[in-house]
Amino acid sequence: MALLEIRNLHVNVEGNEILKGLDLTIEPGKVHAIMGPNGGGKSTLAKALVGDEAYEITEGEVLFNGQDLLEMDPEERAREGVFLGFQYPVEIPGVSNTYFLKAAVNAIRKHHGHDEIDAMEFLELVRERARRVKLDEGLLQRPVNEGFSGGEKKRNEIFHMSVLEPKIGILDETDSGLDIDALRTVSDGVNAMRSDDRSFLVITHYQRLLQYIVPDVVHVLMNGRIVKTGGKELAHELESQGYEGFEENAA
Amino acid sequence: MQAVAKEKSTYLEGFESAPAASARWLADLNRRGIDAFEARGFPGPREEAWRKTNLRPVTEHHFPVAEGQGTAPAELIERLGDLGECHRLVFVDGQFSSALSDLEGLAAGLTVAPFSEYGDSAPTHLTDRLASRADIHWHPFAALNTAFFADGAYVHVAAGSLIEKPLAITHITTPEADGRAIYPRVLVDAENGSEVRVVERFIGDAQTGAMVCPVSELFAGERTILDYSRLQEDGIATINIGTVNLTAQAEASLRGAFVGDGGRLARLDLIADLEGEHGEIDCNGIYLTEGRQFTDFHNWFNHRVPNCYSRQRFKGILQGRSETIFDGLVKVFEGAQKTDAVQENRNLVLGKRSLAHSNPRLEIYADDVKCTHGSTVGELDQEAYFYLRTRGIDAAGAQGMLTLAFAGEIVDMFRVSGVRDHVRKVLMRRLGVEDDDIGDIL
Repeated sequence: MALLEIRNLHVNVEGNEILKGLDLTIEPGKVHAIMGPNGGGKSTLAKALVGDEAYEITEGEVLFNGQDLLEMDPEERAREGVFLGFQYPVEIPGVSNTYFLKAAVNAIRKHHGHDEIDAMEFLELVRERARRVKLDEGLLQRPVNEGFSGGEKKRNEIFHMSVLEPKIGILDETDSGLDIDALRTVSDGVNAMRSDDRSFLVITHYQRLLQYIVPDVVHVLMNGRIVKTGGKELAHELESQGYEGFEENAA
Repeated sequence: MQAVAKEKSTYLEGFESAPAASARWLADLNRRGIDAFEARGFPGPREEAWRKTNLRPVTEHHFPVAEGQGTAPAELIERLGDLGECHRLVFVDGQFSSALSDLEGLAAGLTVAPFSEYGDSAPTHLTDRLASRADIHWHPFAALNTAFFADGAYVHVAAGSLIEKPLAITHITTPEADGRAIYPRVLVDAENGSEVRVVERFIGDAQTGAMVCPVSELFAGERTILDYSRLQEDGIATINIGTVNLTAQAEASLRGAFVGDGGRLARLDLIADLEGEHGEIDCNGIYLTEGRQFTDFHNWFNHRVPNCYSRQRFKGILQGRSETIFDGLVKVFEGAQKTDAVQENRNLVLGKRSLAHSNPRLEIYADDVKCTHGSTVGELDQEAYFYLRTRGIDAAGAQGMLTLAFAGEIVDMFRVSGVRDHVRKVLMRRLGVEDDDIGDIL
């Protein structure tokens, strides 16, 4: 069974139709990349998948592990294993990164009928995962994203993902604003999590990130639809030729 | 206004029909109180400082003084332990309860006593200080309190005495006080170079429709550290309208922690006077309202001399159809140069039909000062709320987490750990947060 199956998804934002019948199937263990020009609907897809109410689903269905994802509240989606790494991570003054993550980990464990995590075990887990993405340990005690640099925020997203261990990680423009060193670190963090039962949906404007997180499948999203699907070589093609050649297909 | 529409107010009639206090000093003070009230009356609709406070629940009824001491329900007595290790002075319906008080092992230099213990022979440092700051000609409820209080708490800290263990003064309102008025009175006098922590707390039966009019006067002598916490947690049917006067002499550090989450109609006029150079008054407050509660903080901070420091940081969390007022004055008197004053009021409106008023006022008559103020009324940050939910935190938990974080900035400022822990629990209960992981945010 596919991990994620999107059929004929139509999404409106402020009354404008952004996604116009999108189909996408992701098998367990696969890394899919979605590329495309700005305004094509990439971020809309990401936000719709995690249940942002500003994104109105007008048609279509999304199955996650065979369940109707669109019927679930955002927190239930998270507990079932959907994670979004935000393009613009939100600053939350007064809420410490570590306490917040502990509450999230326990909410997910409770959902699956597991006991709360032991406090020591949790601290070890957090330290180990922070090291993996070279996140300064000082940032663990700080309020979530508050005063973090752009790169630190993106690393913090990958750090959250590696602690929460979702079934699918959706990364929305995680590469934007990262220098090459940070890009490599973030990619290493993602690659370390790749496994036979965990999938990724990597949304990016540039091919750059895909040199480090090598996808199994690449899609081109334009004007609210997937206009082309191919292997990793498609990313190179796009890089050299740009999106112009696909406009006609899309129309 | 009905109470004063007649020739004599019902309060004066009540005053004259009751026997005068047996202690001469108290009888005289009561008389001054009723005269002041009779001359002033309740505020009219055009009095700016009272315009937004709906006093109808007060003026439409006459609240005679609670007679005798009611029986405190067990669940209220249990709450006396909420604040951890403290000396305890308890008043029930305005009268001292020796059974509920615990003043064992007071440190040398600390005097804690109900006024009633002194009878006619009250020490002059009590009678001189008492009612020397509460302005009965200005504040009608301070006048009523002064007219009718029969007992109260006297706290005296001798010069140089450093008192670590907090003193908790609790005013309990029992069901027998329904429809009655209670006039709690507190006098704290910290002499030069001393240090003391005082908590004043109001709790009461949930169904009791009493009117509580407290007056507290606190004096911080030179180089003192005086920490005052005021927890207004009355029953939901009760009215609490009162005044607090904080007075700081040179180099005194006076800190205030204010919590208002009880009562149907609550108003505090907090008057802070900086009277000696390099004195500081640092007040942090939080108010939590729900249902149809009305809570009003009117702050009057007076920089009377140069080189003083004051802080007012008050935050409101509003639920349901509740309404709040924060009205804060910073007044810098002529010649009070190098004043450093900050006033901040932030309100988090969680209820779609709740209403927060915020009114900062600055009056500055000196030209070399640093005074800032900030005031906001906002809703929950929807982006942050959604972000938390996408990580698995449910809606109530996300709201709780963000609200606790909002409150945390104030609660962290509270210096008495027993107060801090208690307020955390109050917040969690109020916000319906059951998950301890989320409570850990604080």
